[in-house]
Amino acid sequence: MQSTRSRLVMLLAIAGSMAAHSATAAEDPVKGKTQFEQCVTCHSLAAGDNGVGPTLHGLFGRKSSAEEFNYSPAMRRVNVTWTPELLDTYLADPQGGAFRGNRMPFSGLPDAQARADLIAYLKQATK
Amino acid sequence: MATKLPPVDILIVGMGWTGGILAKELAQTGLKIAVLERGGNRSTQNDFGVPLIRDELRFSQRHDLMMDVSRETYTIRNKPSETALPMRRLGSFLPGEGVGGAGVHWNGVTWRWPDHELRIRTRYEERYGKNFIPADMPLQDWGITGAEIEPYYDKFEYTAGVSGKAGNLKGQIQPGGNPFEDPRARDYPNPALNQNYASKLFSKAATELGFHPYPRPTANASQPYTNPDGMKLGQCQYCGFCERFGCEANAKGSPHITVIPVALRNPNVELRTHCWATKVLKDSTGKKATGVAYVNMLTGEELEQPAELVILSAYGLSNVHLMLLSGIGKPYDADAQTGVIGKNYAYQGGSNVAMFFEGANFNPFIATGGWGASIDDFHTNWDFDRGKQGYIGGSYISVGGSHGRPITYRPVPPGTPPWGSAWKRATAKWYQGSMAIGASGMVLPNRYNALDLDPTYKNRFGQPLMRMTFDFKENEQKMNRHSAEVIGRIARAMNPTIMGTPTPRLTWNVVPYQSTHNTGGAIMGADPGNSALNKYLQSWDVPNVFVTGASAFPHNSGYNPTGPVGALAFWMADAIREKYLKNPRPLV
Repeated sequence: MQSTRSRLVMLLAIAGSMAAHSATAAEDPVKGKTQFEQCVTCHSLAAGDNGVGPTLHGLFGRKSSAEEFNYSPAMRRVNVTWTPELLDTYLADPQGGAFRGNRMPFSGLPDAQARADLIAYLKQATK
Repeated sequence: MATKLPPVDILIVGMGWTGGILAKELAQTGLKIAVLERGGNRSTQNDFGVPLIRDELRFSQRHDLMMDVSRETYTIRNKPSETALPMRRLGSFLPGEGVGGAGVHWNGVTWRWPDHELRIRTRYEERYGKNFIPADMPLQDWGITGAEIEPYYDKFEYTAGVSGKAGNLKGQIQPGGNPFEDPRARDYPNPALNQNYASKLFSKAATELGFHPYPRPTANASQPYTNPDGMKLGQCQYCGFCERFGCEANAKGSPHITVIPVALRNPNVELRTHCWATKVLKDSTGKKATGVAYVNMLTGEELEQPAELVILSAYGLSNVHLMLLSGIGKPYDADAQTGVIGKNYAYQGGSNVAMFFEGANFNPFIATGGWGASIDDFHTNWDFDRGKQGYIGGSYISVGGSHGRPITYRPVPPGTPPWGSAWKRATAKWYQGSMAIGASGMVLPNRYNALDLDPTYKNRFGQPLMRMTFDFKENEQKMNRHSAEVIGRIARAMNPTIMGTPTPRLTWNVVPYQSTHNTGGAIMGADPGNSALNKYLQSWDVPNVFVTGASAFPHNSGYNPTGPVGALAFWMADAIREKYLKNPRPLV
């Protein structure tokens, strides 16, 4: 448990630095909406509409262990609160770091600009 | 005494691809539809999530999603002089069970069988003469043409989200596609998947030898896709857990994420799981079905569901079994050459060769179910001269690589001991450096390859098991020897460090897995004297019974069957909706 926590601290630190780095690039929520097409098979934006994955309605500020969805043990264990910065880290490598073993069957978005666009879109669309 | 239920308009037996297609298409009529499924319900969320679905032992070795042979199985023999014995473990073929059927754990390979297969007797007689067809081969036309079924192939491809590259768009040959395919009205809904290293090596060698490689079409979505019913498929992640598994990413075109949920949105459609159909009931004339008797597998209760129209859409073999148990059509007798139910059972053959490349990295664990490259120069290519080879049919040749799973995928060069430290060293050394070429060969009907009721063995309800009599005959042996010779030529051109011996399949054995492409037994055709169903897959004898599935195929292609299985289900649905329901009658 201790090792998971210390990894998480590291991960959050990295997330912070990456976010600072990517803040200079222009984010385009319109392009982000196109990126989001990769997600819609499993993720809805409507409140309470869980599918293969949890709804993304109200994502930012929500716990990764919220009771409304049957989360994987890995996701419950990390027990983080989703922020745009953390989502950026997660989407870069969904099986990386403390998230290893979660159930999302997606290899990730290695392109930082694509992630920034997607997150810009999600900031609007998940409200 | 069975409990008699209030009647429904349409009763469908089996909720896989074809049951789902029929339920969805006929739900629009407003008629009341009930669907019986002998297995349980399934969803991606609850049943196919990672890490649960990555359990190779449970799903691949122990066949968790497939037919339970402790409840029902088939008896097997190679020829009529043998006594058939029950298949007590799954092996050669793997019928599905449960909602979605085998459509849940298929690889996704989706073909269009060409016109010269649908009109096979006519086309071979025209080109090679009547005497070219052996006397013991009941080769028959299907009663439909390639042009008639083309729009329905299209419907199925767009429903299942097939990824591929057209080879012939309205008569124009397309570079990179299969130049031998029949003309199609439009391209596949999704572009072809990425090609792996093995497929690239194969395509290069095949091109240099003058063949025509193209990406194999398959219902693994190469991009996020929304089908015409608004159902969404995810992008394939190349996880290598496709065949024998449900897809965790909803990227494999499967009935439980496409046609079935669309059908069940309609309140007129009721799905009853764990309900095992035991018999189609008939009235006193024997010419009209009155409903279906079934058992609730959870309670043991026996029930009768009266219906105006009965559609059998279980696995092909189960359709034939149910027809034999119910007396729908006259059972086939191989000696007397009478009857039709059980006739023209066929399977698939072929050949394969393993190859080993020192220092290569094929990354077999990155894989989808149906990807790869194929050539049709000795299959759908009608210009290939069968006369020289002396056989009817042909084989398509592919390099795929659907997985690199730890239990199953242990390729070692010939001569390696089967166990011990030498085997361990070899399996570690060659895991990354091996690949294979396979040929999938047609099986043409033979009068002695057939299905009937077993005289001895019974299922859990005391009903006779179905008996399968099958072996490859001289026509298939010639075909498979020829394909072994061709794949050997391609393999040598690829210059491997070590090459195995190209091996044709010459006899059939039920133990090792080969292919779940069992066809025939309730075949369609133009003549009630030699077929069970008319061109709309309606029983000649009991016209309010329709039968879907590969059991309707009068012969087997080298191609996988799901393309025409899906297309014929849409074709049948149109015939029922537009013709039969307006005036219930024999449609031919």
